[in-house]
This record gives sequence, C-alpha cells and structure tokens, in this order.
Amino acid sequence: MASFAELQAAAREQWTAWVNPPRPQLRVGLTTCGKAAGALDTYAALNEAIVEQAAGVDLVRTACLGLCYSEPNVTVVFPDGTAVLHGPVRPANVPDLLQAIRGGRPLERLAVAALSGATTEIEPVDSLDIWKIQVRRLMERCGLQDPESIDHYLATGGYEGLVRALGMKAEEIIQETLDSGLWGRGGAAFPTGRKWDFLRTARGEPKFLVCNADEGDPGAFVNRTLMEGDPHGIIEGMIIAARATGAIRGYIYIRDEYPLDVYRMERAVEQARERGLLGENILGSGTSLDLVVVRGAGSYLCGEETGLISSIQDSRGMPRIRPPFPAQSGLFHKPTNVNNVESYANVPLILRHGVAWYREQGTQRNAGTKMFSLSGRLQRVCVVEVPFGFNTLELLNVAGGGPLPGHQFKGLQSGGPLGGLLPASEISIPLEPEPYRERDVLMGSGGLIALDDTNCIVDLCQWVEWFAEDESCSRCTTCRIGTQRLVEILRRFQSGEGRVSDLERIPLLADTLRWSNCVHGQAAPTAVRNALRYFREELLDHIQRKRCEAGVCRGLIRFEVSPAHARDREVEGAAAACPVDAFRQSEQGWRIDQAACIRCGVCHEVAHEGVRKLAAFPETLPAGTAATPPGQVAAAAGR
Amino acid sequence: MSEVAASHPPLETLLRDVKPNSGHLLKALHLVKEAYGYIPPESVPVVARKLGLTPAAVFGCISFYSELPTTPPPKVEVSWCSGPACRLSGGDEIRRIFEAVLGVPMEGATPDGRVGLHVAQCDGSCCAAPMVWINGRVHGPLTLADAVRIARGLRDGTFEVREEWGHGELR
Ligand SMILES: Cc1cc2nc3c(=O)[nH]c(=O)nc-3n(C[C@H](O)[C@H](O)[C@H](O)COP(=O)(O)O)c2cc1C
Ligand code: FES
Repeated sequence: MASFAELQAAAREQWTAWVNPPRPQLRVGLTTCGKAAGALDTYAALNEAIVEQAAGVDLVRTACLGLCYSEPNVTVVFPDGTAVLHGPVRPANVPDLLQAIRGGRPLERLAVAALSGATTEIEPVDSLDIWKIQVRRLMERCGLQDPESIDHYLATGGYEGLVRALGMKAEEIIQETLDSGLWGRGGAAFPTGRKWDFLRTARGEPKFLVCNADEGDPGAFVNRTLMEGDPHGIIEGMIIAARATGAIRGYIYIRDEYPLDVYRMERAVEQARERGLLGENILGSGTSLDLVVVRGAGSYLCGEETGLISSIQDSRGMPRIRPPFPAQSGLFHKPTNVNNVESYANVPLILRHGVAWYREQGTQRNAGTKMFSLSGRLQRVCVVEVPFGFNTLELLNVAGGGPLPGHQFKGLQSGGPLGGLLPASEISIPLEPEPYRERDVLMGSGGLIALDDTNCIVDLCQWVEWFAEDESCSRCTTCRIGTQRLVEILRRFQSGEGRVSDLERIPLLADTLRWSNCVHGQAAPTAVRNALRYFREELLDHIQRKRCEAGVCRGLIRFEVSPAHARDREVEGAAAACPVDAFRQSEQGWRIDQAACIRCGVCHEVAHEGVRKLAAFPETLPAGTAATPPGQVAAAAGR
Repeated sequence: MSEVAASHPPLETLLRDVKPNSGHLLKALHLVKEAYGYIPPESVPVVARKLGLTPAAVFGCISFYSELPTTPPPKVEVSWCSGPACRLSGGDEIRRIFEAVLGVPMEGATPDGRVGLHVAQCDGSCCAAPMVWINGRVHGPLTLADAVRIARGLRDGTFEVREEWGHGELR
C-alpha cells in the first residue's frame, strides 16, 4: 500500500491538471438542487455541442457552491487558472458560451463571479455580499472540486487531520474535540467529545459508529450539500472518531430522498478503501474501520437516533425510550455512537488546524461555524456557512437577498417543522442555540425558512401538525392522537369553525404531548405554542372574525368575478384555466359557481383585476375588537 | 411466483448477498424495488426467509416506510412536494389542482393506472419551489396556471414526460 506522502503526491498531479487545465474546462454543478434547476439538460446540451463542434474543451462535473439561486452553474476554467462561475446557464445559452470560450473569454452576460484569477470585467467572488459574510471551512471545497475524486480532496489538505490523529492516543483526540467546543449539529447540541468518551469507555465489542445522514427536516439541505460536494470530509471525520473510540465498523444512513448522496458516498467509501484509508490497519496505525452506506426508505422518524438504529437492524424505524443510550446499547445491542454529517465533517478541521484556529470563529459559548440552508419567501435560495453568533435577520437579508419585492418578512421557521416559529420582530438574534431556546424555538440543524405577508400562520401550523401526525411512528398515544387533535383543531380554524375554547385546548394538548416517548411527540406542538405566543391576534382573527388576512385558508376565502370586469378577455382566460370549470357564463358575463370552486386561486392569478379574492364570511366584528375569550387566555388577548 | 417473476431476475439471484442479522433488510427491499418497480407481495416471504424473519415482520417494515409501494407504480408518477418552501408559495393549491384535474386523490391513480399522485418530501430543491417531480424530473417553479396546464396534459396524454437521467450516466 502506498504511503500517505505518495498518495498526496499523486493527488497533487491530478489537482494541478484540474486548476490549470491544458485546455478550457467546463465544470457543471451537478447536485440535487442543480438538477432541479435543469443542470442535466445544460450538461447534455454542452456535451452535444462540444462533440459536434469539436470544440476543444473538456466537460466535467463539480458540485454546488451554495448559490442555488444561480443554478444551473457552469464554471469555465482557462489554462491560466482563471475560473469564472456562470449561471443560470440554460441549453439555449450554450452556443454563446462556447463561442465566448473559443475567443478565450468568459461570457460576461451570464458571469456570476470570478472564482480565481483576475479578470478586469468580472468581480471576484469574495466581493459578492453573499460570499463576504461567509467563513467557508466545511464548504471550502464545495463546488470547486470534483466531488467524486478522492484525489482532489487529498491534494487540498484532505486526510491530513487523520494522519495527525493516527499519531495520537484516543484520549488526546477526545480532549481536543472537547477543547474545540464542538457539539452535535443534528439538533440536540450535545458535546461531541463527551459522546465519544462514552463510547470509548463503554463495555462491549464490537463498537459501532453511525453517521446520521437522514436530514429529514424539510427545508434543511446542508448535509446534502456536504455529501454531494465534499463526501470525504465526513469519512475522514468518521475514521478519526474510530481512532478515538475504538469503533471498527460504521454505518452511513442516508435518507431515501437523496439517491445522489448514496451514490457519491458509496463511491467515496470505495475510493478511500482502495487507497488504504478505510479497512484493516489504516496507514499502519492499528486503527481499523469499515463503512457501509445504508439507504432509508422514506421516514422522518429514522432521523431520531434510536429510530435510525432500529431501521438499520431490520425492524421498523421506531424510536425507543432512552436509557439505555446508544453508547451503552445501540446497533445490534452493542455500544454505538451516532453523530450528524456536519458534526463528523468538523472533526478533520479541528485535527488539522488545531483547537486555537477552530475557536477563532464563533462565540465564546459556540465555537466554529455552522451551515444554513435558506429557503421560503426570500429572493435567493442558498446554502451558506457563517460563524456562530451571526445575526439571523442579516443572514436572511444579505445571503437570502431579503424579502421578495413588495413584501415584508413575517417570520421565520427554523429547526425543521418541530423547531417552531418566530415573528419578524424577534429574528434579529444571533444564530446560536441559546437565543432561540430563550424564545421557545429551536435553531436546529440548519434549515431557515422565511415567511412573508402572503403566508398564514394558521396554515403553516396546520402543515407542521400534519407533518408531525403523518410521520409519527404511532407508538405513543400522546403523539399519535395529540398530533391528530391539533390538526383537527387547526383545520377548524381554517374552515371558519374555530372555537374560542380551542385556544385553551392547545396548551393542554401541548402539555400532554410532552409525555411522549421521543422528541418527535414532545416537540410536535412547538409551532402552535409559538403561534399562541407570537401570533395570537392572527389566531383570534381566524376564530372570531373568521378572517384569514393573508388570504390562504380556503374555508375563509372566496373568489368572485368583479362585476365591472365580468366580460373581460382576462376573465375569459381565468375561466379557461379553472381546473374544475366553476365559471358560468350569462348575459351579465362570467360568474363563479361557489359550490364547484376549490379555491385554488388560478383565476385570480390569471385575472388579477377581474377576479377578486374576498373573505368568505361577512364582517361581524370590526378588526382588532375580537371578543374577550374566557379563562387564562383573556389577559394576553388584550395586547 | 406469478408473472412478475418471468420478466425479472429471480428473487434468489437478486438477493444472493442478503444475510440474516446483518442489517440487510432495507438493502433487500431496495433491490426488489429496483428490479420490479415496487415490492410485489409475493416477494415478501422470500425476503423474510433470506433474512430469517417472519413475513409479518417484513410486511410491518414495508408498511412503515412511504417509499416502498406494494402495488405497481403508475406509468407516470407525479410526486408532489409537501415541503415548506413549496407550501409557502402555493404548494397546497397545486396539490388541489392536480387532484381535481386528474380526478384522483393523493396516493391514488387514474382508473387506467396511467397517472398517479404521490406525496413526496422536500429534498432541498427549494430553488424550484413550488414544484412537482414527474417520473423523477423536477418541474418548477410552477405558477398555478402551469400546474393546470401540466395536469391537463397528463390527463389528456399530451404532456411529454421526460425521464430524469441516472447518476452513473454522465461520464
Ligand atoms: C424526530 C427526530 C428527527 C431527527 N432527525 C435527525 C436528522 O435527520 N439528522 C440528524 O442528524 N439528527 C436528527 N435527529 C437528532 C438525532 O436523534 C441525534 O440527536 C443526532 O443524530 C445526534 O448527532 P449529533 O450529536 O452529531 O447532533 C432527530 C431527532 C428527532 C427527535
Ligand atoms: S419545499 Fe419543496 S423542494 Fe423544498
């Protein structure tokens, strides 16, 4: 087997040819988000044109830089090392792009930024606002290397942390991990070093490692960005963990929705094995580890660590009561350590650069950086990495580009559906667990979803509870029935059948749900509880005035053809678009049959003037004068 | 085995490497799904025997997961994203449009089995929200009018369904 120095030397040759290619190179960002934006069509169109024109360029693959809003991305690299990111590049842009390259130039019209090298016309990437605020450590290589090449990773400092760790004792590695302050990124924020020490000192052989790559929180895609962009960072972290804990076998459990990640992680494992970085006696150190990739089959609960363990060992992915904790009895009843993808990926950085370097970023309480995925009602969907303590609102404004034109932020949904909701007035807070926890929400694993004035809090809560109910494993009655009851109550609000007494029932249900087995049930009512605290008026509007001011709840709205426009062309278009043919024509022009209408709103979208969105119920109470509800609710309602 | 067996690799060959007590159940089920497009109920006893489990235990697992269908998939599967970014930009309205135009509820299929609707989870393609996958290919961001047009095209057989590429095909 080659020595590490030999591996690195061979890898560097590959890397040189990558950054200074002999002829222009086109790197297409191929990831799940890139594919969603049409990157495969762009790739195919480029491939065809290159072959046809014998264009003298090379077409290769890279991953996502996190600038999802600009995908499909094509980075053009010239022999002098100048690399220019282009996006969005559609098949129709291919002729122009290739022509520009033939002239030895990037296509300015589609250029996003220069990733390296100097071009006078195109600004360097670090002058972009979204780049300036970032500290890219975990994401350092994402979108700049071929994610399916171990050589690119090896040539850029990869596995150096491992080499250092292999020269250390288990206790020393654990001490460094503790000193770095690293805590688990999967949601619970437990110190990683402590968990490793539990496994190291646990009795029972063999010991197992699990990488939790279930990333079940809808709207969170930071783990995916790492797996698709830099898979070896995760593997290196796991090998270091094996050295620190004595584990000899590891499982990487990837959700079913991420087939590309399964593919890339499997390839990465194979490559590491070929290079002697996985398997028996790694680099002659005496440490051994083998990794297996397991693909899930569609279940949120398999992200909970005990559910995940059940799922790997041939049973339903149902969480069980802890203790025993996995470190005592986990996979196949053996001591097991479960960490999130991002947790493992931090480890090589700590070992390679040292604790002092690691702690240069972040805050006293929370060292290092964190990846966040931004989505929802903002201008730019993206994945970014910032130091802990960065201001949430600033992140939404700078990286996310702020609210959509003509709209304002209404709030934030963080930490997955069970993480809860904050109103816009509360989101100028540091990105750290504590300020979130103080507000009864969870910062969580990295998903940040922006809400604006077109969104209804009741509808969002109903979605959250629908999700919680749909994904409940149904073991505990509290969780199974509690979530169902919350859905029913919220659906009542949405259909104009809300009861004031429901506002007391919700805290009661939330309190009952706390007695569920696992955090799924316990956290299920978070969003509703937040809504009662931060959006009480909006709930009361739904219940008492039967009003959904955002115009979302289908039982509280109706669409009407405006009489003045009843004969307009535009309204005819709306009638043609109606999926249920609810438009009726008479002498007076068009009208909508309310019994047939499903309130999808396509007519209003097509004929903005001609079809109006109105309240379904007549105004009974003037706005803001909701009758005082009984009991404990009364005091707060007056706000 | 019924007629499914005729056109596919025999289960025994397919499940050659599957062993008991090794955490192979999900792998076995994925192998079956990949070969058959779904988990034929007849395959359950075979999988169970290979793994040293009872068929009931295997069935219990299959029913726990949402991506292990036990009936053949429709020719065209519309997977509707139930995620938050889609929801906040009209995803639920899009669901209602597909259901109304095709005349089937979620997880249902048209009587001829041609077009079906499936509830899917967000995979972080939120830059295309609101969207649906049609046989794996993302369609989005959709306006409501787009949704009506696509749903009608699917109903009338005029919508050109293009399969998504596999991951290994690009090299
Ligand atoms: C319902 C539920 C879903 C979860 N989903 C995930 C997940 O998708 N990914 C993850 O890393 N952790 C998830 N967790 C947290 C895990 O149980 C566990 O705390 C974590 O994987 C530990 O790794 P860490 O210490 O590195 O954070 C979930 C927890 C619950 C209760
Ligand atoms: S919410 Fe639909 S893709 Fe993320």
